[in-house]
Amino acid sequence: MSENRYLTFALGKGRLASKTMELFEKIGITCEEMKDKDSRRLIFVNEELKLKFFLAKGPDVPTYVEYGAADIGVVGKDTILEENRRVYEVLDLGYGKCRMCVCGPKSAEELLKHHEMIRVASKYPRIAKDYFYNKKHQTVDIIKLNGSVELAPIVQLADVIVDIVETGSTLRENGLEVLEEICPLSARMIVNQVSMQMEPERIKRLITKLKENL
Amino acid sequence: MSTKLVHTPEGVRDIYGDEKAKKTVVEQLLHDRIASYGYRDIQTPTFEFFDVFSKEVGTTPSKELYKFFDKEGNTLVLRPDFTPSIARCAAKYYMDEDVPIRFCYQGNTFTNTSELQGKLKEVTQMGAELIGDDSVQADAEMIAMTIEALCHAGLADFQISIGNLAYFKGICAEAGLDEDTELKLRSYISGKNGFGAEELLTDAGVSRENRELLLKVSELSGTAAILKDARAAVSNGRSKKAVDRLEKVYEALCAYGVEKYVSFDLGMLSKYNYYTGIIFKGYTYGVGDAIVKGGRYDNLLKQFGKDAPAIGFMIVVDDLLAAMGRQRLEIPYDETVVKLYYTEKDFDEMLKEARQLRAAGKRAELLPKRTERKE
Repeated sequence: MSENRYLTFALGKGRLASKTMELFEKIGITCEEMKDKDSRRLIFVNEELKLKFFLAKGPDVPTYVEYGAADIGVVGKDTILEENRRVYEVLDLGYGKCRMCVCGPKSAEELLKHHEMIRVASKYPRIAKDYFYNKKHQTVDIIKLNGSVELAPIVQLADVIVDIVETGSTLRENGLEVLEEICPLSARMIVNQVSMQMEPERIKRLITKLKENL
Repeated sequence: MSTKLVHTPEGVRDIYGDEKAKKTVVEQLLHDRIASYGYRDIQTPTFEFFDVFSKEVGTTPSKELYKFFDKEGNTLVLRPDFTPSIARCAAKYYMDEDVPIRFCYQGNTFTNTSELQGKLKEVTQMGAELIGDDSVQADAEMIAMTIEALCHAGLADFQISIGNLAYFKGICAEAGLDEDTELKLRSYISGKNGFGAEELLTDAGVSRENRELLLKVSELSGTAAILKDARAAVSNGRSKKAVDRLEKVYEALCAYGVEKYVSFDLGMLSKYNYYTGIIFKGYTYGVGDAIVKGGRYDNLLKQFGKDAPAIGFMIVVDDLLAAMGRQRLEIPYDETVVKLYYTEKDFDEMLKEARQLRAAGKRAELLPKRTERKE
């Protein structure tokens, strides 16, 4: 609607953000300020194109986008599933590919074949719950952990874990393996519902351009 | 102050002072405009039998309802939205009426949504329902009235996005999708999640042609110009008719002179299952979700025993206020109070003055003299 309104991007911190900026550069969107690694600024602006960027912790990106604090966000599919926010998921950016899996020692494979109660540790309780309740119809006790989830089956905190698997080397080193795959993951672009309605042309143009450069 | 007692439960809150004054003003403005179209107020109970909001009716999922029991063991539900209640009323009291009936309502609704997402569980809704009229003019009246009510309340920057469920349903029927797949597809498409939808359709064994068609639905949004593309994309009669309908509604909206607030989105599909045709949502800056939701529900009244078409909408008043606040829109309210200070001696005199002011329609507050210094 208003041409001089800034379009704000929320990017998940880390590798995802740099990959995204690389992609944006291909379509002519640059932000020199952001390349300065020592900068302590939180918001970066491209005055010419009326764009703003900020970095946020992955799980917070859908929240910023849902409330319209950012119009557009780039974040992993895992986060989108876990946060379950009301946003439009418009584009699969293709990078950051990995899988959400049920992992554990080989011996735990048997436990997944029955409907017995098992203990599942995960950083993603919602995804784990949804998978076991609605797809496998198995009763589970979910234990929320905040990192090093692989530890849980080793020290017998849980029978299996639900976690992201990229190469699987951490699993192998600790005597664990992928038992079941839940879904493939990659970086996605999400858009605030209101922004999509209020500035459809600008956002659609961006999506089309990005699609051509994937 | 007892610190334990002053808190409200998660998801509900107190509204007081200036905020409440503004809310009252906005409600009044919205109501004035709706009433000017001849809609009459209706009040339904805050809680009803569970069956009124059951799965068959197609409203809020059961787990998001506040349920409790009465002495006889009936399951009762705090209303999550008004439409089923109004439909029940219309069927009960206007069974033999065959002229259109117009209702307007206002009240709080309750949904038990997830914790810590910053959403309120109790919100005030204001809305209107037009029962017994399936014409294009009825659709246009509903949408135009929404726009005028929002403008009247002081909102300027907003968009009403219109879709037609029949368009999507026509394609689904052609592609031979079962109900389960259709429901899943609906959630993907309304989330603009094209590749999720693609995966689902490939798994369901839908032909390539129909797959592409269904996927295109989520991209069909924009100005009235997209209606042409929408028509060209489909071959089945039901979807074509759906586009015709939208075009006619657009024409009527142009006659109202409100077309600048209108856009189209054929990928818009409501989570409420009772909608059958035209649906629309209103968006504005400052809140993450639609502040207006509405649509046609031609089969809902049948569930209550009266076969009549109907269309309605509701405005989430709390969200509208939040948006207006964030857009720094002025909401004028006048709560000037004349303060009269009395002592024991001149109380009679002051009271007389207060009564005169009150009789003249002014606000007068009587205060004991000793508090004067603090003011």
